[in-house]
Order: sequence, then C-alpha cells, then structure tokens
Amino acid sequence: MTIRTQIECQYAAQTQALIDADVFQQLITGRLSLEEIDQFVANLCQTHLKSSQILAFLYSVAPPASAARIQHNMLEEMGLDDEGICHSDLLQQLAIAIGFDAQQREALHAGAQNRIKTLCNDPLMFGTIRELGLLVLLEVTCFEWMLSRVSSRMAKALEVYRKLPADCLQWFYHHSEVDVRHAEEGLDSVVDYISYYEIEADELETILDITFRENIFIKHYFGALALAQETNMLEVAV
Amino acid sequence: MKIVAAQLFALRIPFVEAFAHSVRSRTYSDSIVVRLEAEDGTVGYGEGVARPYVTGETVSSCLSFMQAVLWPAVQQIDYARPAGGLTDGINWLDEIVESLPQAWPDGPKNDSVIAWNAAVAGWELALVDCLLKSAGKSLGEVLPPQRPTVTYSGVITASDVTQAVKMAKRFKQLGISHVKVKVTGEGDRERVAAIRDVVGPAVSLRLDGNGAYTVDSAIATCQVLSDLAIDSAEQMLPRDPLAALAAVQAAAPISQMADESLITFADAKALIAANACGWFNLRISKCGGLAQTIRLARLAQTYGIRVQLGCQVGETAILSAAGRHLAAWLPNVEFVEGSYGKLLLSQDISRQPIHFGYGGKAPVLTRPGLGMAVQDDLLATYAHKAVSLEAIAC
Repeated sequence: MTIRTQIECQYAAQTQALIDADVFQQLITGRLSLEEIDQFVANLCQTHLKSSQILAFLYSVAPPASAARIQHNMLEEMGLDDEGICHSDLLQQLAIAIGFDAQQREALHAGAQNRIKTLCNDPLMFGTIRELGLLVLLEVTCFEWMLSRVSSRMAKALEVYRKLPADCLQWFYHHSEVDVRHAEEGLDSVVDYISYYEIEADELETILDITFRENIFIKHYFGALALAQETNMLEVAV
Repeated sequence: MKIVAAQLFALRIPFVEAFAHSVRSRTYSDSIVVRLEAEDGTVGYGEGVARPYVTGETVSSCLSFMQAVLWPAVQQIDYARPAGGLTDGINWLDEIVESLPQAWPDGPKNDSVIAWNAAVAGWELALVDCLLKSAGKSLGEVLPPQRPTVTYSGVITASDVTQAVKMAKRFKQLGISHVKVKVTGEGDRERVAAIRDVVGPAVSLRLDGNGAYTVDSAIATCQVLSDLAIDSAEQMLPRDPLAALAAVQAAAPISQMADESLITFADAKALIAANACGWFNLRISKCGGLAQTIRLARLAQTYGIRVQLGCQVGETAILSAAGRHLAAWLPNVEFVEGSYGKLLLSQDISRQPIHFGYGGKAPVLTRPGLGMAVQDDLLATYAHKAVSLEAIAC
C-alpha cells in the first residue's frame, strides 16, 4: 500500500463514519430539531472560521514543493486570490441567514479563536514541530476530502429543513466544487510533507493513530457527546 | 472561613478510546466533582473516584455519604486559611482532613466499604482549592516543589501482542521513559518481551496484575519475566490475604507493589510488618486526599518502601492537578501516573490543558488553589447527576 493510499483510506473511513452516524443521517433527513440544526451550524462555523490562520501555520512549515499550493489555499481562504471570495465571509452570511444576532456571531468568532488558543496551549506531545505540522495537515486535508464529497448534502439539508436560501449556503457549495481539486492536492501535500521531513512508517502510523483516534467530523460538528453516542462510549457497564 | 454552599456532580465523560485491565474495561470517566462556595464567594473544586473493587465505594454510596455525613460536618467549621511554612502547611492540610468524618455510624449497613476515601478526598481537595484561592495562594506554596517538572508514565492496557506493540511504539515516539504494562496471565511473556524489544533497554517497565493472579501464578509470572528488567509488579494478587502477598514478595524475583491492598494507614503498617511489598502505589482518591497520602508517603520513607504516585483511570484535571503538586513535592516518589487529560478523556473540564507533553513531562502548577480553572458549563454538560446542597440556617 502506498503512503497516499494509506492516508486516503483513513480519510475515507473518517468520512464514511460521519455519513453513517445517526446524527448526520438525522441532519440530512430532517430529523434534527431547529435548535440542533442551529447548533450544528454554530459548531461548523467555529470549526472553519479561522481556517486561514491554520493554513498560515501550514504554509510556514510547508516543504518547497507544496509551499506554493498551500499559500494559494491560504490566499483563497482569505479571498485574496483571483476569485476574491473570503470563506469566513461566507460563514458569516450563513450565520446571519440562520438568525444568529451580532452577539452570537461574536461568540462564534471567539469560539473559533479559542480553538486556536487551545491548540497553542496544549502541551506538545511530539519532540519537534514537524510531527505537529503533519498532524494539522492531516486534519485540514481530511476535512477538505470530506467536504468535497459531503458538503452539498449538508447544504441541501439546511435548504430543505431549515429553509435557508441557496445563496446563503455558498460556503458548502464552494467547498463541494473547489475541494475536489483541493482534496487531491491535499493528499499530494501530505505525501510531499512526509517525504521532505523524512517521516518514517512507524512515526506516520503513530501520528495517524493520534489524529484519527476519534471521528474528527462528528466531534467538531456535533460535539463530544454525540460522538460518544455513536461509539457507545457512554454505555453503562453491566 | 465558612463554606456556604456545595454542589456534587457525578460525571460521565467519554474516553477517546477504551481502557482495559484484567478486572474491567472502561469507556468513560465516572468521577464525582465537589464544588464548594465559601462565604467570601470563592469557589473551590475537588474530585473523588469511587471504585467498588478498591475502597468499596460506589458513585451512589459516595454521593450519599457526602450529603449525609460530610456536608453537615463541613458547615460547622470555620476553616483557617493556609499558614506559611512547610510544617504549618502540612498541619493545615491535616486539620482540614481531620474536620471530615471518616465513618458513617448511623448510615445504611455497608460491609463492602473499606474506607470512604474517595468521598473524603473529593471534599478535602475542594476545601484546599477554595481556601487557597481565597488566600491567593497556590498549593505549591504549601508543598514547595522539589523539581521543576514531573515525569509521567505511559500505560499499556490489556490487549493482544499486536496492539501492545503498537502502543509501545507510540510511547517510544512520544519520548515516554516509564511504561506500565497491564498483565492478565494470558500470554504475558510474549507481550512483555515484545514491548521490551520495541522500547529498548533504557525505558523502565513495570507490571500491573490488577489482582488477576494466584500466589503460584504470580511467582511463576515474575520468574518468567525477570530477565526483562522489570522494576516492579503491582497488585498481582487480590487485596487479601496479607500472608499471600508476603509469600509472593519473598519468592518472586520482581519487587511487589501494593495497590488495592493499600487503602488505609492500618493497611500500610500491616504490609510493612509482614514484609509483603517493596513498593506502595499511593493514589490521592484511593488514600483519602492529600494529607492522608502524605502520611503514607512518610511512613514508606521511614521503612524504606519505594513509592509510586498513581492515579485513577479517567480522573479529570482536578485530581491530576493535585497529583502534580504532590509528585513535585514528595521527596521519595519514583514513578508518577496520571495527567492524561485529553489524551484519554474526550474533553477535560479545566480551562487550561493539564495533560503531560513530550517525554511524559509536565511543569509544576503555580496558579492559586490547585492551579487549574474548572469550566462549570462542562460540569453541567457531563453530569448524569447533580446535587445542590445549601447551608442549614443555624
């Protein structure tokens, strides 16, 4: 199995687990309450609002062969490329459309910023930055891989069951269209990173294990308790 | 300083992955968090972890004891703030634990309870946190750290050889230098040898049998593993009887560590008198809080018993913070467990992460109280039972 295949298998497994999750099925079949849908949107916004800063970190540690690609992703995220669509503005539109007031939207930004703060405050488990860089790169590119395959289903659910107008769901459609390319490029970047930093098979396996110990999508979009429901982690032992 | 309100939270925080040993597999934390409010508005947090097969306490009986026995007693006390100086500081901790009843004479008949240590630990820690915060002091001023960082152990849970090797590789890459291996009596030689091969000769390995062995099988297992440079074998036998533990300690080539056999001070004295172990595994919740753990550590030092400061699987940042202070201060602690935080819990309850980093290293804590800030909203999120206790008007 090539490294690319090994990693793509992980992405596919993470994505399939999201699709199979009860909570995701409830979302796309209209069985979530309005409050639960709004919480999903809030979680999604907090997950992605500060993506440009995460990409900036990845750009700073990118190997020469993929630096330009990651730089382009970062500029695209910020709306500084030819298209000029700032992705956090699209999330802002979504938040407004769903009815979050200014205070709630401010809280989303604070929550997103807090995720960066948590990442920085967390004691480093690895001996160097290169392992942390790979962990972050894996997570970011896994999100891109998933969104390229699933985001239009999320958008459709919000359109049908939350009655949101399609033009407020551009973030989803944009990722769905663009990220097919991003997803492939993301895998290229990961393979390039592993090669450039001479990360060995055992190291890669450990970093993959740590990155994907939990389903990152369910945890970020629906919360730790929803994830525990999916994995039966809260079942009381008899 | 009077305590005017208390809340108890029986938590269920899911684990990231299951944690298995020979007795059972755990998938969530079942800690009880004690939240106390002093008359000046200061809030302090403590934590106890009830384990029926350790102290005999259950979550339910622990909550009942806290409500019926500890809360009425605590309300009566006008607690002193911490004094300066080490001796005064230890005396202050002693005074706190002595204000907490250790028995329930009028309670329901419960022969299975060896000691209400988890309940007492939860309240002692909450009082310590609250009173120190009120005085603007850190526990590190009462127990001045003897070392700038604490080195934690990794634990390889009960699993097949493939999984054990995978975990050993993970620990090696994370720079962990002390590893404890859960053994079950099934394929121990193959597993432990495979782990030793992966981690190399420089890493310290210990065993933990969780009481799964007989005298004969414990001795035989220690003999068959003795060439793998094992530092200790923890609780190979069930808690009783003492003579059996002493027989294993006398015959086995690996020094025995008492865990479930060591709950009370009387247990410790009996273990020493019987030459039943070479190590104590001290755990703050199991031993009834900081003061009682310190007493046991001092007894161990007097009699040349080596010390590991252990933890409760699934403990939150509260017990981990208390353990950090103790591990940094105790002169005779050789191995330390705990501070797994988000490495094991899907979400920890402290604002700042408490878990160790590369090499199992974590710095001493310097903020007031136990040194961490609890997020009340997460207590509400993860509590499957919450109890509010108000002061009884005198």
